[in-house]
Amino acid sequence: MNSNTKPNRQEMELLCKAAQLMLENGSETYRVEETVLRMARGLRHEHTSIAAFPTSIFVEVDGCTHVRRISRRGTNTMRIAQVNEISRRVEHGDMDAQAAMQALDEAARMPGVPQRTLVFSYALAAASFSLLFGGDAGTFAAAFFIGMLVQAVQPLLIQGEMGALFGNFAGGLLTAVLAQALHGLIPYGSVNAAITGGIMPLLSGLLMTTAVRDTMYGDLISGMARALEALLLAASVALGVYTGLKLAAMMGGMLL
Amino acid sequence: MIRSLLTGAIGAFGGTLAYTFLLNAPRKTLLPASLTGVAGYVLYLLLDGLGCSMIFSYFLATAAVSALCEIEARVMRMPSTIFLLSALVPLVPGYTFYSAMLALVENNGMLAASEGLKAVQIVASIAVGAAVTSGCFRALSRRRRAHGTPRR
Repeated sequence: MNSNTKPNRQEMELLCKAAQLMLENGSETYRVEETVLRMARGLRHEHTSIAAFPTSIFVEVDGCTHVRRISRRGTNTMRIAQVNEISRRVEHGDMDAQAAMQALDEAARMPGVPQRTLVFSYALAAASFSLLFGGDAGTFAAAFFIGMLVQAVQPLLIQGEMGALFGNFAGGLLTAVLAQALHGLIPYGSVNAAITGGIMPLLSGLLMTTAVRDTMYGDLISGMARALEALLLAASVALGVYTGLKLAAMMGGMLL
Repeated sequence: MIRSLLTGAIGAFGGTLAYTFLLNAPRKTLLPASLTGVAGYVLYLLLDGLGCSMIFSYFLATAAVSALCEIEARVMRMPSTIFLLSALVPLVPGYTFYSAMLALVENNGMLAASEGLKAVQIVASIAVGAAVTSGCFRALSRRRRAHGTPRR
């Protein structure tokens, strides 16, 4: 192969698939572009351009262009690591296009985090962050319990078009209601710390860091888009918590 | 002081560790990432307690976290993203953004403005802190590659 050969269909598919997997699993834009360029170099295509955004990818190799739409965005760092590993092996010529495609398919098929682990780690995150906001041991336990319940119902909420927004709203609402109700049953340290701890796993601090990293590497559009998403999600959590607080106050008023 | 540092360290450790699970981080990165998260948060608490300005505390803490993450990434041969995403979680102002939004919902414009501004300040200092270290590491690794040492 020399550097002038037109890329075949499989090679284009391979590059797109790699970029898509990286973007869908929360990689920064510059890393996506680096990965694709690295793989193209390994396949002996020197004239490669890529433009990646949180919602779409454009890959051009020697006059042949593919476009992909990205509609699912999450974070799964295991997949980022796998795609990275595959791209390095393609670059060093240890893997041809077909083998790489198989490896990518395998990485894509790998199941995500099981719900059991999610429930546990969501609860642990909620409880730990409640400590950072001035909670005591009782608040830790309460936030752990609330976190478990909130994550337990998340899979029911986040399906559909605006799943993330609705999931965050309902998560905030549930956290606020549960924290108050629990305090009514068994008084524990600080309701406020339990609520703020409980919503920390929902708040997209992650999106914000990625937005910042994108912006500082010069991917301005990606940075803005991700920052907007983070703000919108924070707004939906805040609305959820506010609704929950009001609901609890109203119900408390009725009971008294 | 010692007490709040200890609570902060425990909270940051639990929070970062939980995030590594939520993000499905490869198993061998769990402990380094969590300890980096703790180191960053404790450094921030220390600087804050010593009376440094908010911006400076966040800047130095982020610079330390990203330096540690870049080193871990090179030692373990993994993308630095994996470490950074969880280790920065205790520092990132998700909560400040939330309280700005909550103030907006409650129609408290003054509080929303001040919290929102604070969040932007924190994000900016985190950005610069990460950019400075990242830039240094990239320059270093480029030079090493130019000398012909193959590096993955």
